[in-house]
Amino acid sequence: MKGRMHRLDFSILVPMLLLIGLGILTLYSAGKSGQTRIWLKQLLFYGVSFGLLLGIASRSPHQIFRKSLWIYSFGIFLLLLVAFTPLGLKLGAGEGAKRWLGTKALNFQPSELVRWTTLIFVADFLGRRMADQIKLPEITTAISAVLLPVAIVAKQPDLGMALSYLPILIVIPLIKGFNWKWLAAITIVIGISVPVAWKSNLIQQYQKNRIVDFLNPATNLKDKNYQTNQARIAIGAGRIFGQGLTGGTQTQLNYLPVKTTDFIFAAWAEERGFFGVLLALGLFGIFLNRILAVSRNAKTLTESYFCSGATAILGLNIIVNVAMVAGTLPNKGMVLPFFSYGGSSTISYFIGISVIMGIAYRSKVL
Amino acid sequence: MDQRSRFLLQRRLGVFEGVVWCLLGIIMARYGWIQILRGKELKQEAMMQAVKIRTTPAPRGLVLDRNGNKLIENQYALNLVIEQEDLPDLPKEQPQNARQSNAIQQVQALARELQMEPDDLRRKIVGQFGTNRFLLLKDNLDEFDLAEAEKIRARFPFVTIKQAPRRIYMGEEFAGHVLGYVGEVSKEDLAQPKYKNYRQGDIIGKEGLESSHDDMLRGKDGSREVVADYLGREVATKGEVPYKVGETVYLTLDAGLQSILHNAYGEENGAAVVLDLRDGGVLAMYSSGSFDPNAFLDRRNTKKTEYLLDSDGRNRMYHRAIKTRHSPGSTFKLLMALSALEHGVITPQSRITCTGTKSFYGAPRRCEGTHGSIDLLHAITVSCNIFFFELGTRLDIDQIFETAHKYGLAEKTGVDLPGEIASRIPSRAWKERQSSDPAKKKWYSGDTVTAAVGQGAVGVTAIGLARFYSTLALKGKIITPHLLLGYRDEQTQKLKEYPPKPVRDVALDANIWTLLDQAMSQVVKYGTARGIYMPDLEICGKTGTAQVTAFTTREAYLASAKQFRDHAWFAGYAPRDNPQIAWAILVENAGFGASAAAPIAQKVCKYWFIERKTNPLPPPVKRPSGSYYAIPDEIDGDKQ
Repeated sequence: MKGRMHRLDFSILVPMLLLIGLGILTLYSAGKSGQTRIWLKQLLFYGVSFGLLLGIASRSPHQIFRKSLWIYSFGIFLLLLVAFTPLGLKLGAGEGAKRWLGTKALNFQPSELVRWTTLIFVADFLGRRMADQIKLPEITTAISAVLLPVAIVAKQPDLGMALSYLPILIVIPLIKGFNWKWLAAITIVIGISVPVAWKSNLIQQYQKNRIVDFLNPATNLKDKNYQTNQARIAIGAGRIFGQGLTGGTQTQLNYLPVKTTDFIFAAWAEERGFFGVLLALGLFGIFLNRILAVSRNAKTLTESYFCSGATAILGLNIIVNVAMVAGTLPNKGMVLPFFSYGGSSTISYFIGISVIMGIAYRSKVL
Repeated sequence: MDQRSRFLLQRRLGVFEGVVWCLLGIIMARYGWIQILRGKELKQEAMMQAVKIRTTPAPRGLVLDRNGNKLIENQYALNLVIEQEDLPDLPKEQPQNARQSNAIQQVQALARELQMEPDDLRRKIVGQFGTNRFLLLKDNLDEFDLAEAEKIRARFPFVTIKQAPRRIYMGEEFAGHVLGYVGEVSKEDLAQPKYKNYRQGDIIGKEGLESSHDDMLRGKDGSREVVADYLGREVATKGEVPYKVGETVYLTLDAGLQSILHNAYGEENGAAVVLDLRDGGVLAMYSSGSFDPNAFLDRRNTKKTEYLLDSDGRNRMYHRAIKTRHSPGSTFKLLMALSALEHGVITPQSRITCTGTKSFYGAPRRCEGTHGSIDLLHAITVSCNIFFFELGTRLDIDQIFETAHKYGLAEKTGVDLPGEIASRIPSRAWKERQSSDPAKKKWYSGDTVTAAVGQGAVGVTAIGLARFYSTLALKGKIITPHLLLGYRDEQTQKLKEYPPKPVRDVALDANIWTLLDQAMSQVVKYGTARGIYMPDLEICGKTGTAQVTAFTTREAYLASAKQFRDHAWFAGYAPRDNPQIAWAILVENAGFGASAAAPIAQKVCKYWFIERKTNPLPPPVKRPSGSYYAIPDEIDGDKQ
């Protein structure tokens, strides 16, 4: 055990553990008026995740990347299981979306994990080649490898999750550099596809509504914009120093909806105030900074790409969630790493982080 | 990895990290803006939705009779309500979204569960928004209802069981019209300026003294400041303003005497008023058929529908003592006598010959007997019609009206009950107002002859007539009948009486009063009401038999249906040498006044002057029928 702990990168682990500590405190407080054991359940998930972390981090990343095609295929297979077999489940949340695998009592959301399996494949596929060997066919292949799971996930439907796959593509400008032609091309593609998606059924009506409501925040305070409005009140009520742990009226009296998952950061902001927000966002920043440092020092291109892709996934997740809670982005249904309650996402994040830990160890040792 | 690509990658990673920090910075600024610049206002908004004001309804004041017997008391009942902030978010028109459609479905399901009309419940909920009051769904839950209510609550968490005081009217039909009842303030009420301080859902007096003394009886609702969660469930109490119970009110009514009237009428319809000559207090007031006010407070009570549909034909909702005019018949002869003497058309010694029938202005008129040459004293004693027909030819109708007006018979008495109407004493001006047809506007001399015996256009209320006889008893003092005796002083717990109402005194030759007094005494001694003569109590009075329909023969009358029979009156006062009470008693369609109405007056006198002193009747104890969930605490006015 001690030997294995030695392999972990403490500069990543310490901010991570601190964030987990804040998250457990928030879960304890937010669950106090109902789900009193939710923080214990989350601790259990962390226990399992740490086991996985130690197990995976002790392997050489090389062993993992060698099987990247198999890993990727396994991920797609899981998504297809959800979509096309009776094993796929519709659970309470998500307006009837089919996202889960397993039974009502024990289930797993594969789309969380497949982000990481996809990243492993893309990092490996591009990392095998020298930067100047990567041309349009390679880039097209990489983009297609990302868009395949995106399409399946969007069909569930889970647009928020599907969008959270796209940061993987950050590796392409990292390799090829920033290019005005590319930007123009992307702009044109988006400019065509957004109206097409809006007209077709690819974007569900409820998602369109969310965007429309987001653009009109002062309307429908009692229903459509209820969550955003209550979250805004909760954040504001926290003021500078917060109302104290378990002291926020919005959180404790359940005015704040989905306060243990999507909107948990509002509960933190209400009870710990602006200082709490600075602390949490600062720790997130340091955490991402440490991962990027691993990316810089990585021994291989694959490892470096993986770490930057992981930073993009985690960073986008954090930033979008926190901005959404504050009403800056539309309500997309996205969880906050280390804060939100959830087994699938926790385990998936830890799998990704454990690969990073392996890379970090290798870069120091070798 | 070669040096060049490492360098390029490092540089691009640097840009990437810069972007991440920038985004984090923007978000921090956004949080700072919300939490520091708008924090105060948002904190207030948070408090506004978490801290709620809930009304605690105040019990209304108790109502006691003059001896302190409870006539109206309170009892706690459990009601099924929706608190203001728990009201489902219903749209006024069409639902805008899934949430509202869902709320509508919920409300419809709830309405079915409660056997209400779904649209009705929807309207009620929408109407309740912003009133700061709960919406009453089902009142007065019994044990069976409570079990049902709990089941409903499990399905519809926004429904609450709330304890609230309710009114209990003792003795059921005992004094329904006088006490009145309470109910929720209606939309029409709220439109009136009188109710500008009331809100939807407030309980107000709807009838009787509950209505006329609403401002005294209704207390002041209290409120509680509670911390409530998003479903409106109370988590903690922050502050409380206790309610204030309404005043405990003493009435001039005597429960024993009221029972005498209540029992005396039985299946007969009619009205009776007994006045206290000391101050004009109403000692008893009964309108038969009476109603049970409790019927209006209990949804299970089927009597309400019966009353409103008038299913027994007794017109029970009508307050006959103050809202109905009846021809006074011969009881009007005292006013005629007063007017004739005042205007000098006769003297006490004037004699008129009665031959049984006589023609006036071409129309033959009949008397019940053939009295020969007769003076005023005897004409009243035997109730000679011809004598008074003759007065009708000597007096002008406006002179009669003038006298009636002078002694207060032409006006409302001013009793403190809602909806009193004035007695109608006709005059030329009155007739003029009645029609636009010139032929119908004219007052004919024959009309005066008819009016002279209290028929035709003359109509009096029981309370108006009782007040006129009290003026006769008091020899010209005009009192104001009233029901409110005083209130209970909360410090001493004793009755604090209101100052007596002013008395108007009309100056007149004392000999006239004495003559009329003697005449009314003779009516009971050996006149038309000799059947109620009592050796130890000298009663004065006058019978009256008011024709409902004209019959040509006595046989035809006796064979007629009850509703065509004459109304019987007996008005008077007692005892003769020091009058203490005056009354007017009406029994509808009962025939001859002496046989139907006078015995009731005799019962009143017997009770008031004899039995009350030794063996007073117990106060009413009969509570409303039907099952009630018993909550141990009976609210008494002396708590709080």
